[in-house]
Amino acid sequence: MRRRALAILRYVALVLIATVLLLPIYWLIMSSFRPAGDIFRYAGQFGLETLVPQRLTLENYQQIFAASFPRALFNSLFVCLATVALGVLVNSMAGFAFAVFDFPFKKALFVAVLLSFMMPFESIVIPLYTLMRTLRWTDTYAALILPEVAGGLIIFLFRQFFLGIPKEIYEAARIDGASWWRIYLQMTLPLSGPTIATASLMMFIHQWDAFFWPLVATSSADLAVVQVAIARNMTLEQANWGALFASASTAVIVAAIPFFILQRSYVRVVAVQADK
Amino acid sequence: MPARRWIPYAFLAPALLGLVIFRFTPICLSLVGSFFGQSIRGDSIFVGVKNYAELLGDPAFWSAVTTTLIFNLIINPFQVVCALALAMLVRRPARFIDVFRASFLLPMTVSIALTSIIWSIMLDPTLGPVNGFLRWAGLPPQPFFRSADQALTTLILVATWKGAGYWMVFLLAGLLAIPKELDESASIDGANAWQRFFGVTLPLMKRPLAFVLVADTAANFLLFAPVYIVTNGGPNGATQLLMFEAYQAAFAFLNHGRSLAISTIILVIILVIALFELRLFRSEDETVA
Repeated sequence: MRRRALAILRYVALVLIATVLLLPIYWLIMSSFRPAGDIFRYAGQFGLETLVPQRLTLENYQQIFAASFPRALFNSLFVCLATVALGVLVNSMAGFAFAVFDFPFKKALFVAVLLSFMMPFESIVIPLYTLMRTLRWTDTYAALILPEVAGGLIIFLFRQFFLGIPKEIYEAARIDGASWWRIYLQMTLPLSGPTIATASLMMFIHQWDAFFWPLVATSSADLAVVQVAIARNMTLEQANWGALFASASTAVIVAAIPFFILQRSYVRVVAVQADK
Repeated sequence: MPARRWIPYAFLAPALLGLVIFRFTPICLSLVGSFFGQSIRGDSIFVGVKNYAELLGDPAFWSAVTTTLIFNLIINPFQVVCALALAMLVRRPARFIDVFRASFLLPMTVSIALTSIIWSIMLDPTLGPVNGFLRWAGLPPQPFFRSADQALTTLILVATWKGAGYWMVFLLAGLLAIPKELDESASIDGANAWQRFFGVTLPLMKRPLAFVLVADTAANFLLFAPVYIVTNGGPNGATQLLMFEAYQAAFAFLNHGRSLAISTIILVIILVIALFELRLFRSEDETVA
């Protein structure tokens, strides 16, 4: 009896929390399909109409896809995918070195990596901007991509996973004359599918999330990423709610796609990492 | 493993190069630049500690420091507790538990900029559905971001909406790694749920909790987007966090020396926190290894 009551109580809590977490996302996406004039019509007076649309339309989406939004979407996707591709390679190589080899200054270098992960990226945004301006790198894709490639957290993630691979298999390959580069490419990486997926998801979400650095590093509209484009629209033309809701919904949905594909291996790999 | 001497460094080189150029060089630039100011003609001139002296004598700076510290002292423990509560709720298998786990994670895909935008609309005093709901439920409407008393709390709650599920995964992983038998034998010995939580579960969660606290602090310490997009530091300085102060100095007042001095102070604060956290990490590492 008591057990049953607890189980019911647990579901009540689960449903309540899920509602608080999901309702804003639902409301945003649902409202983006409403005629712009309807978006706030039912918000102030709460009722069934607040959550169930009366009329549906695609006009908000037609509006943003006819304007500069596709360009911002392309910029974001390009920057994210380039960061993920470079980041998986660079950080897994470093993680491999820390997991497999012993070498002078290993400890010191690893502490430096850990420090870089504890240091929020925002803290160096302003001096990094000074550096980029001196190098005349502001307003380029490179300025958006390269600073986010090497990351302490991702190096750490790969190192933790690689530590679990038994070293005997490397010894056998070494005796057969394989180079370390070949061992890394043909033995280690193929074993690391779920870790690569998790690292990719983390880097993708992180780069997709980026706001402060893209805001500072790029000023031309051609290089605006989604987050910056939406925020600029929000402050500049606050009246255009339809466009704001449609572009924000698109940004949420696009980021949710890799999340749903990779979600399962993500939870599993994080389990391994937090465990070690 | 044995290898020729340069091989480990070859594997490390691209990542270290990235960290040196994009992390450590800016830190040095920040330090150097903070000793420079601009002449009337716009040239860079060495001004010694003038930028720092001005900052330390500026009440606006101290208020931003205080706000940042209060914000972090509340939000980080709060998010960790929320994440742990969520993880405990979805720990045991049950019908639909996968659906709940995924739905708790979903807000992590909403960027911090969009989180700010969505919630600023949701919480708008006149347009927003949250106040519509409060009125419908017969409760007094709230100003949220528009009041100096509520803005910082609202900011913390909104950031937690996005963050709690993200950190939950790491703690859930830790919880799932605890052998079930431990809990069961404690249960047979007559321990109630609270005793089992504090006596068995929590001590075994030290390491994941430490990891989450460290990573969470790094994520929240310099929150910028909500302040820039929603509150602009207001109302009345209530959400004037240090990062926004540095941003304004650089891009609104074009006072680069001041903004680099603030950046340097931020870096020193972070370094102190990180060194402290590193000890936490290392002592844990040794017990595990």
